[in-house]
Amino acid sequence: MTEKRLTLYELNSLVREVIECEMPNEYWVEAELSECRESRGHCYMELIQKDEQSATPIAKASAKCWASKWMLIRPYFERTTGQRLHAGMKVLLKVYAQFHEAYGFSWIVTDIDPTYTLGDMARKRQEIIRQLKEEGVFDLQKSLGLPVFCQRIAVISSETAAGYGDFCNQLADNPYGFQFKTQLFPAIMQGEATEQSIINALNRINETYDDFDCVVIIRGGGATSDMSGFDTLALAENVANFPLPIITGIGHDRDESILDMVSHTRVKTPTAAAALLIDHLKAVLDMLNDSQDRLTHLAQQKLITLHASLITISEAIPRLFSIVRTRQEARIDGLYQRILSRIQQRAVTSQGDIRNLEQRMLAALEHKRTSERHRLEIIEEKVKALDPVLLLKRGYSITLFKGKTVRDPLALRKGDEIETRIEKGTIKSIIQ
Amino acid sequence: MKEIKYEAALAELQTIVNKMENDELDIDQMSEQLKRAQELIKLCKDKLTKTDEEIKKILAEK
Repeated sequence: MTEKRLTLYELNSLVREVIECEMPNEYWVEAELSECRESRGHCYMELIQKDEQSATPIAKASAKCWASKWMLIRPYFERTTGQRLHAGMKVLLKVYAQFHEAYGFSWIVTDIDPTYTLGDMARKRQEIIRQLKEEGVFDLQKSLGLPVFCQRIAVISSETAAGYGDFCNQLADNPYGFQFKTQLFPAIMQGEATEQSIINALNRINETYDDFDCVVIIRGGGATSDMSGFDTLALAENVANFPLPIITGIGHDRDESILDMVSHTRVKTPTAAAALLIDHLKAVLDMLNDSQDRLTHLAQQKLITLHASLITISEAIPRLFSIVRTRQEARIDGLYQRILSRIQQRAVTSQGDIRNLEQRMLAALEHKRTSERHRLEIIEEKVKALDPVLLLKRGYSITLFKGKTVRDPLALRKGDEIETRIEKGTIKSIIQ
Repeated sequence: MKEIKYEAALAELQTIVNKMENDELDIDQMSEQLKRAQELIKLCKDKLTKTDEEIKKILAEK
């Protein structure tokens, strides 16, 4: 080997010189992040390009963003996209090539265009939405009704988040004195673990979902933070298919996450979620009060109507009864007339009977009297025949002593004065 | 007299009339029954009057 031998450093320096000479420009490059980490203020990325069909890597490279740039790029990127740089994200990077003798090849990042990532995110979101719609679950939550008395709340939140405290306080301090029962299902609400953590919490709630009226997923306010965990298909499917209505209050105004889209209701903040629950119950209360008022009103109306018709009816009663009374009295009088006429008739018959008897009696009496008179006449004849005057005329006389007929001479004594009646007078004589 | 219902009184009255018209009564019974009929008539008429007054009273109470 007569050729000149180079040290590794010399060789690497050669490569560096070539790269620096041949590729002095900056390039905009589209790539996917396969890794992304920060260290001492610098950002270290692994870039990858996959084959569109097979998804096997066809290009790979390291990239770095030095702290001086990174401290400017990062806030802008996160503010615009609402997300941190993370693996799986498509990015458009402004880079220049660098080859370092000790560290090898690397793309040095001088700028990141967040709109490209946004576009990609939007595409991914559209893809997820399309899939959800294809599965027919996108609107499932919307078809669930919030229970009328929605008071048992399962809360998915980070235990320590300020938003969770706000939510609980807001519910407890509601001005109507409504009672809410909340139970926390702790979950990690940002970063890579968000998706699985929320799904786990949902699974725990699902085990006893009869104990709850709805689920509230809330995240405390604070820095604009990573929303990527809320835009995944798996989480969206879990939420969409959940048997209870889910209210999201994950605090961001840029645009809706897919979680928000598939949830029953989205609000911006935990306090807004509490307000929604309070308002819902207040509406129920108002509805109850209103129904009560209407019921009372209707009942009163009905009573008034009924009362009026009752009066009409009751006014007719005396008139109706007087008809009844007249008819009944006529009936009674009719019966009484029949009794009287019958009695009269009977009296007439009876009198006839009596008169008839009387007649018969009189006739009988008359007959009796006639026969008695005849009998008397016969007797009279007989008596007449015995009259002493007739005997005196025939020459007989009657001797009386002291007015009594003398039938025995021995009854007379010497000196007694006797009377002798003859036809033409009386002779007085003294016994000698 | 024991409390007797209007319809019962009327029925009894009717019975008396029927008996009279069918000649089922002698004279003594007739006068007894006439007395009974008059009692029943008074009872019925009293009831009608009382009912009339009660109706008016009840309606006036409202």
